[in-house]
Amino acid sequence: MKRALPYVLLVAAAAIYPYAVARVFLDTPIERQMGTAFKIFFFHVPMGWLCMLMALICGVAAAVELRRRSQTAAAVALAAAELGFVCGLGVLLTGPIWGNATWGKPWTGDARQVSTALLWLVIAAYLVVRHYGPSSNRRLAAALAIFGAIDVPVIYQAVKWWKTQHPTTEVVGSLPPALWASLWPALGAIALTVFGLLGIRIRQLLLADALDEGWARQSDLAAAKEVRHE
Amino acid sequence: MRLLRQTRLLLVAELRQELRSLEVVISSAFFAVVMLALFALSLGALSPSAQLSAIPGALWLSVAFVGALTLTRVFDRERESDTLRALLIAPVDRLAIYLAKAALALLVVLISTLVLVPGLCVIFPAAAPIVERPLLSAAMVVLGCVGYVAVGTLFAAGLAQGGGKNVLLSLILHPLTTPVLMFNLVATRALLERHPGTGEYLGRMAALDVLLLAVAAWLFEPVLVGGAPRRAPGDDARIAAARARARGGRP
Amino acid sequence: MNELTPPPTPAAGAPASDEYAPAIGFAAKDVEQVRIYEAKAEQKVARDYQHIVWAYGVLWALFAAYGIFLWRRSARLRADMDALRRALDARA
Repeated sequence: MKRALPYVLLVAAAAIYPYAVARVFLDTPIERQMGTAFKIFFFHVPMGWLCMLMALICGVAAAVELRRRSQTAAAVALAAAELGFVCGLGVLLTGPIWGNATWGKPWTGDARQVSTALLWLVIAAYLVVRHYGPSSNRRLAAALAIFGAIDVPVIYQAVKWWKTQHPTTEVVGSLPPALWASLWPALGAIALTVFGLLGIRIRQLLLADALDEGWARQSDLAAAKEVRHE
Repeated sequence: MRLLRQTRLLLVAELRQELRSLEVVISSAFFAVVMLALFALSLGALSPSAQLSAIPGALWLSVAFVGALTLTRVFDRERESDTLRALLIAPVDRLAIYLAKAALALLVVLISTLVLVPGLCVIFPAAAPIVERPLLSAAMVVLGCVGYVAVGTLFAAGLAQGGGKNVLLSLILHPLTTPVLMFNLVATRALLERHPGTGEYLGRMAALDVLLLAVAAWLFEPVLVGGAPRRAPGDDARIAAARARARGGRP
Repeated sequence: MNELTPPPTPAAGAPASDEYAPAIGFAAKDVEQVRIYEAKAEQKVARDYQHIVWAYGVLWALFAAYGIFLWRRSARLRADMDALRRALDARA
């Protein structure tokens, strides 16, 4: 059951996607000011939430990794960072497309845009340290992830302090119920996809660790055998 | 109290070593002069209103670059002879090590800003409000540098540990410190525009500084000491060799 | 119709008479033109498929790219596992 869980999530996501897209395009009234481009919102915003969630998961897992030196927590942190990277890239690419349609320019230097880009940079820096640094840098990478997770609320505050033209959180809060009803399936579909991929990636990373262990054991055995032959 | 005493002792030792050669201070201050020259050449001809938006960027970008250089130099000394490990084994509180290193780096960065800020005031006439309110400006510069150094010391120390191949400090430091720098930019802009809420911005900078200092101090020990790694350093190479042997048939 | 501000109405104090007064207003041609522009703008906002196709394409291409990355990674892991098994069998 546990092995199949990620695939169950992905299948469920595949089942929800057509419903979510149909709701967004057929059942949702067209927004008066932003027009059809507003339909980007229904997948842009959930991606943004999931990017932040992945950054948080990565930070928490990294904290556990630091405290307990757990192999599983290390795998969770890396997998979450990779998915946060993908989701962040999605947000950062769809955002300017939406902005181009509604504000007339892709990048306005708005506080939330900038801070999302920063969060994405931190995630990218984490991946760089994990992939290219020596293995002694693992704990340093964990510290980086924890700082990244702390950046999330700072980013959220930044929007409130520097009022700009980005639709503020209040706009999302005051969405008419019809739009909420279309947002939930889209959020569900994306969240299921992301968590399914997360599960698969975590298993892969753990398997890679186990394989490393196996090769180390094998090379020990081979060395022992050679000694016996001599 | 023990912590403070240890911090003071370590800092005095660091300062004594620094005073012998002045290596870090001189290279950082000279780098600040280089940055000033570059800014004078590239942005010196801006109109006063454009200067208003250029000065905060020039100031904090210089601090960021000077800070990265300083932190690298401060820990290069430890890296060259792996003395950080000796320091970590010594019976001192790890927090004292962090605080002493951060204080040294802060001191060097502040000395560089003593070159940097007056220089910017000379290059850009629009920087007059900084001269008019020296105390407020000094407080702002100190608060901004504290946040930067608090984060930077942790990561520079972590990078000073692993021998051999390493990741560039700037690569991980700048994305992480950009929130601090953004706070600083906003506060500096407010100061330059003689905004009445400048004091409030300074309060926010101080709050962020306290948060970053607390987190960095809390992380310092787990990041630097954190127990023996699960695998010995040579194991990665051994595993790779075993894989290559199996792929190429019998060696 | 913001583009065409109505011209000022004739002075209120003007004596009402059945004298000839020039008709003041929009030429029918201009009104037609503005309506066409407005309809075009409305169409563009209401059926702005270009942006949507790009945005949704980018999102799903990203997930597909990550999926392919995972798939290739898992193929490599499986090959590695087989190699390990063979190496262990050979030594046994």
